[in-house]
Amino acid sequence: MSKENYNFPDKDGRYGDFGGKYVSETLISALDQLEDTYDKVKNDKSFIAEVKNDLETFVGRPSPLYFAQRWTKNLGGAKIYLKREDLNHTGAHKINNTVGQVLLAKKMGKKRIIAETGAGQHGVATAAVAARHGLECIIFMGEEDIERQSPNVYRMKLLGAEVCAVDSGTKTLKDAMNEAMRDWVTNVDDTHYIIGSVAGPHPYPQIVRDFNSIVGVELKGQSREVLGRYPDKIIACVGGGSNAMGIFYPFLKDNSVDLIGVEAGGSGVESGKHAAPLSDGSVGVLHGMKTYLMQDEGGQILSTHSVSAGLDYPGVGPEHSYLRDSGRVIYEAATDDEALDSFHDLTKTEGIMPALETAHALAFAKKIAPSLDKEEIIVVNLSGRGDKDMANVAKVEGLSL
Amino acid sequence: MNAIHKVFDSLKKNNRKALITYSIAGDPDLDSSEKIIRNFIHSGVDIIEVGVPFSDPMAEGPSIQLGHERALKNNISLKDILEMCFKIKKDHPNVPIVLMGYMNNFLSLNENLFSELKKHKIDGLIIVDLPYVESTEFLKKLNKEGIDLIRLISPTTTNERVSKILSSSSGYLYYISLKGVTGSELKVSDELEKRVLSIKEQTDLPVVVGFGIKDAITAKKMSFCSDGVVVGSLLVDEISKFSSKEDNIMNKKLTSIIDELKEGIA
Repeated sequence: MSKENYNFPDKDGRYGDFGGKYVSETLISALDQLEDTYDKVKNDKSFIAEVKNDLETFVGRPSPLYFAQRWTKNLGGAKIYLKREDLNHTGAHKINNTVGQVLLAKKMGKKRIIAETGAGQHGVATAAVAARHGLECIIFMGEEDIERQSPNVYRMKLLGAEVCAVDSGTKTLKDAMNEAMRDWVTNVDDTHYIIGSVAGPHPYPQIVRDFNSIVGVELKGQSREVLGRYPDKIIACVGGGSNAMGIFYPFLKDNSVDLIGVEAGGSGVESGKHAAPLSDGSVGVLHGMKTYLMQDEGGQILSTHSVSAGLDYPGVGPEHSYLRDSGRVIYEAATDDEALDSFHDLTKTEGIMPALETAHALAFAKKIAPSLDKEEIIVVNLSGRGDKDMANVAKVEGLSL
Repeated sequence: MNAIHKVFDSLKKNNRKALITYSIAGDPDLDSSEKIIRNFIHSGVDIIEVGVPFSDPMAEGPSIQLGHERALKNNISLKDILEMCFKIKKDHPNVPIVLMGYMNNFLSLNENLFSELKKHKIDGLIIVDLPYVESTEFLKKLNKEGIDLIRLISPTTTNERVSKILSSSSGYLYYISLKGVTGSELKVSDELEKRVLSIKEQTDLPVVVGFGIKDAITAKKMSFCSDGVVVGSLLVDEISKFSSKEDNIMNKKLTSIIDELKEGIA
């Protein structure tokens, strides 16, 4: 597939059959306004310069491309490089999107920012930009996730955000998104909803992809400089799929580069206890988009299982659904145990503690690297840092801090 | 002329406004929800909206969210709901039954959906998360079976989109009275009345008002400018107070609420 033929989303906000705008009528005008605003500014020089400046001085971009030398040696196969999104301000790739969206909110004259969060990384990244721009900020977070990710909850509060505990449904990310939608429909005039993944109704999957694609754009330049060529494989974890979309998108036309998304396999895909809709789901409509979902025969959304709150989501961005069906991206799954194992591996051998989400991508790299030629190059998107997960890892392993 | 059309025709002749109820199939259980609907019909409700419970009811306020959760605990499926509606339609062919729910549940029947709806005598659908822009194909298939897609219009719908929506509507139009979820607090205003009247000027279809109508006085006010009102959260809240073993007392209570509402809008 060449990028020339790849021109998604189309004018209806679709990626093939996926995507769209399946929301209540009340939200259509807000989505139209966002789409219009984004179309106007996305090629505007002063807007691009403003985003660039924020990415450099507030986020700390570009993020380095790091050679994981000891881990590579231990695994004894392909060279593993890490794209260090964990070094961004607030500790993950999520801030790439929020610095852009908050500027869109200001262009639209919105004074109030809402967001959903699972692991808390998107909540923190949203709270940080809201603080910087002096905007009111409310973060919706499932009760179960509040428990799993308490350091991030306090961080959001310190940044001046109100954290709203969601106790409906499964009390995780999907329910936080439902509640954010309910708030948005009520306060649509003065509120911008910063969705944190390449999910939701059009134009969100496009906007979040575009703001995150700085990761892939930088990697292209760094590959040429540091490696002298593009990597053979790029691996990223996929929940909603924003870090993966960000690093994959600029490489879609480069067919020599294998793109691999890794979903949360929970207790194993065959167990049914996972959060891997692309590996073991079916097509449906949720949160404004047509995409692969984990659902039962009657179309009820199923509970998901993952050690990582950020991947614990029953859907996935619509562009990933398209890329799965087209075959351009291969989707795999890593289990909780495999992710935990790689979490420790990287921490001990490289002195870098990855987020549990990211650990799923690392787990797949660990699985394939030993059997690959030593000249092959794998880049893993190190999407976030793992400090937030320490208490949870300790708990899973029966320790108390 | 289908059942919805007939009902509004006869209401107009008698200078009356429609009372439309919303209750959730399977709440508190399937048999009781059937009894509730039959009781609504006996109490003189004009159109029955049947909520199809969904695991992620994004547009609902707390009352109806909890109703969906109660129904799903009973493992209610769309097929069960269709069977229930069919039984009711057998006895009351002239009372329109409109299913209201979310796209994903309707998609679960795939292409069979349209013939199944027809087979079970469903008169119309309201799909909360299927806005005008996404509905073209779906609408064609529904209309082929003679089933109405009831469109929603909200305070944020631009005039331009209102005319697009009107150009492909049938049955009736559902005006969402407020920016918010179901069961929010409704403040009746001149602006609201003007908007409903302006929509009515642009169409021959009946326009009903829903969201936040929780007492006879509000129902009365909203029926002045419209062709009818939808009452949901008020009834679902009442239903939540009873277990399925208390059918009789629950239905007595519901009848008195319906009587009061009917008196308001008469």
